[in-house]
Amino acid sequence: MTSSDFETLKTELEPQIDAILAQYPQERSALLPLVHLFQERLGFVTPEAVEYISEVCDVTRAQCQSTISFYTLFYRRPIGKYNLQVCRNLSCSLRGARQIMERFRERLGIDHLETTADGLFTYEEVECLAACDRAPCMQVNLNFVYDMTPEMVDEILDSIIAGTYPVAPLAQSEQPERKVRGPEWSRASRKSAGAVGVPNANNGGGIDQTGRTIAERFRKFGIMPISSPGRMADPELVEGMVPAPHDDTVMEHNY
Amino acid sequence: MASYEPVLTKGIGEADLTDIGVYRSRGGYEQLRRAVREMEPDAIVGMVMKSNLRGRGGAGFPTGRKWSFLPKDGRPRYLVCNCDEAEPGTFKDRMLLEQTPHQIIEGIMISAYAIKAARAFIYIRGEMRQGYEIFMRALEQARAANLVGEKICGSDWSCELVAHRGAGAYICGEETGLLNSLEGKRGEPRLKPPFPANSGLYNMPTVVNNVETLVCVVHIMQRGEEWFASIGPVKSPGPKIVSISGHVRKPGNYEVPLGTPIRELVYELAGGLFEGRTFKALQPGGGSSACLFEEHLDLPYDFDSIAAAGSMLGSGAMVVMDDTTDMLDAAWVLQRFYAHESCGQCTPCREGTHWSEAMLERLLHGHGREVDVSLLGTVGDKIAGHSLCALGDASVPFLQSVVKRFPEEFLRGAERVAAIQV
Repeated sequence: MTSSDFETLKTELEPQIDAILAQYPQERSALLPLVHLFQERLGFVTPEAVEYISEVCDVTRAQCQSTISFYTLFYRRPIGKYNLQVCRNLSCSLRGARQIMERFRERLGIDHLETTADGLFTYEEVECLAACDRAPCMQVNLNFVYDMTPEMVDEILDSIIAGTYPVAPLAQSEQPERKVRGPEWSRASRKSAGAVGVPNANNGGGIDQTGRTIAERFRKFGIMPISSPGRMADPELVEGMVPAPHDDTVMEHNY
Repeated sequence: MASYEPVLTKGIGEADLTDIGVYRSRGGYEQLRRAVREMEPDAIVGMVMKSNLRGRGGAGFPTGRKWSFLPKDGRPRYLVCNCDEAEPGTFKDRMLLEQTPHQIIEGIMISAYAIKAARAFIYIRGEMRQGYEIFMRALEQARAANLVGEKICGSDWSCELVAHRGAGAYICGEETGLLNSLEGKRGEPRLKPPFPANSGLYNMPTVVNNVETLVCVVHIMQRGEEWFASIGPVKSPGPKIVSISGHVRKPGNYEVPLGTPIRELVYELAGGLFEGRTFKALQPGGGSSACLFEEHLDLPYDFDSIAAAGSMLGSGAMVVMDDTTDMLDAAWVLQRFYAHESCGQCTPCREGTHWSEAMLERLLHGHGREVDVSLLGTVGDKIAGHSLCALGDASVPFLQSVVKRFPEEFLRGAERVAAIQV
C-alpha cells in the first residue's frame, strides 16, 4: 500500500472516524475503535495507520504502539486471510480440544501463531471464547464454529481452500511473512509479559509454547531440563543433546 | 425448583428477541418508560438496594451499595456495562448479548437514569464480534424508538449509550482495567483507592456493572424488590444464570434461583455425567474458583454457602470434571491462561503465574522434581494478595485446591527425576 492509497482510505473512512470521535468525551478513547476500523480494511495495523491514529487521538506514536501491543486481537504484521482461533481453555480441553488442535497443526504444517506460506491461514490457540456449552469451539475470522470434531477441521480447511466457506476472508494489504512469530532464539527465552506485552501473532517474545513440550525445547537448545549437579538428568534427553539444526526453512505448507 | 419460572432468560429460543417489535410486544421497555416518566432516580436506587441484588460479574458486591457510593458533587457520572466476559467456563453474558440485546439496553438505560449518568457505555469483548453486530442493530432500533439518546420516552432526560469493542484481553474484565481500555490505554488495572465510584472513567464518578446485574434491574423494576429478595437465600437472593460445562451430558446456561443445591444443577439440569464415569471435582465459579468435591455436592448454590466451603460463586460458571480428568493437565491449562493474561504490572503475578505454569509443564512431561509440588503452593501464597487486582489472586485457588486434594497426580510428574536422583 502506497501513501496515496492510505490517503484515499482515510478520506473514505472520514465519516466513520468522525462518528467514532463524537462518541467520546476524550479523543484518546477512540483509539481502540479506530484501530479496529483500520485493521478491518488493511488486515493489520500499518505504520501509517499508527501514525494517523496517534495524531487523531492526541497521543505519541509510542503510546499508540504500546496500547496496540497490549491487545491480542490487534496485529502489527500481516496475517493470513483466514485467522483460525481454536479455544485451548479448560472446558474445551475437557471435551477434546487437543484433537482439534493436533489436526489443525498436522493439516496446516504450522504451529500456534504462525501463518502458512501462501498467506491463506494464520493459526492461533486462544483462551476461553465463552462458548463452553458447545465445546470444543473455535472462531474463523471471529465467527464461531461450535461442537468441533477433527473431521470438521478438514471440512473447514477444504472449503476455505475451495473458496466455498461462508465466512469472508480478511483484508490483506500486504503478503504476510511465512512465519509471523519471532526468531527462534526469542521463543526459547522466557520473557516477562511486562517487558514484551501479551504474546500475540505480531509479538515474537513472550512465553507461549503450546504444542512444544519443555523436553523438545530443551533438546533443541542442548540445555539440561533440571540442574542436578554433576549428573545427567535423563538418559532419554542426553541422546537429544546435540543442538538441532536451525529449522527456519522447514515450514512449507502441506495442506 | 420445578415451580421456578425463568425470568432473565425468558423467551430465549422461542422468539426473536433481537427485534425491538418482538421485545416490546412482550412488555419490553415498559419499565424504562415508567422509570423515566414516573419515578425519581433515587427511588430506583432504593429499590435495588432493598432487593439485595449482588453483582453477577464475579465479586458479588451489593449493586445498590455500589450505586450509593457515588459522590454528590455535580461532576458528570458514567455508567459502564461490563460485557468483557472471559472467565473460563462463563458464557451467560454472550448468550444475553446475542439473544436479548434489548433487555441489556433497557437495563443499562434504567440504571443510567437511576444514577443520573451523563453517558453510558457498554464494553463488549473483542472476540464477541457477532454479538457486537447484533447489539449494534438493536441499539439502532432503540435509538430510532427514542429509547436511547435525546429526551428519552418524551421525558426531559437524555443519555447516550456507546458500544465499545475490546480487543482481546481478559484483564479488561477487571473494572479499572476496563476503564483504562475505554480511555484508549493499555488495559492495566489501577491502584485502588480511589475506587471508580469516586474516580473512574476520565477521573469522574463511575459505576461498572456486569451485564446480568443490569438485566436483573429490569426485573426488579417490573416485579418489585420484594419479589427479588424473596427468591433464594436472604443475603444473596435472586435468579442466577449458571453456565454449566465440562463433563456433563447437557452443558448450557440454566437460570435457577440462588440457593439451588449443586447436585440438582449437575445431575438434573445438566443431565449428569456420561455413562460409566464418576464425579471428581467441579469449579463453582469459573476458572478462578477453588474446586469443590463430592462432599460439597449438596451445598446450596449461593454466594455465602460457596464462600463458606472455601470457594466462590464468582461469575456462576460451573466446570464439571469426571474421573477421566488429569488434574495436573487441568491445572496447567488454567495456569497457562493466567500467565498469558497477566498484564505484567505487578511482579508477583507476572512472574508467579509464569513460573507456576513452567513448573506444571515440567511435571506434566515427567521432568518435575518433588519439591515442585510443594513449591507450587508456596508460589501461590506469594502471589495472592500481593498484586493490584484480583487476577493474581484468581490464579491460586484452583491450583492449591487440587494439589491439596490430589497430590499423587502431581507427584507422578516427579517420579522419573526422583528415580534418577537416588
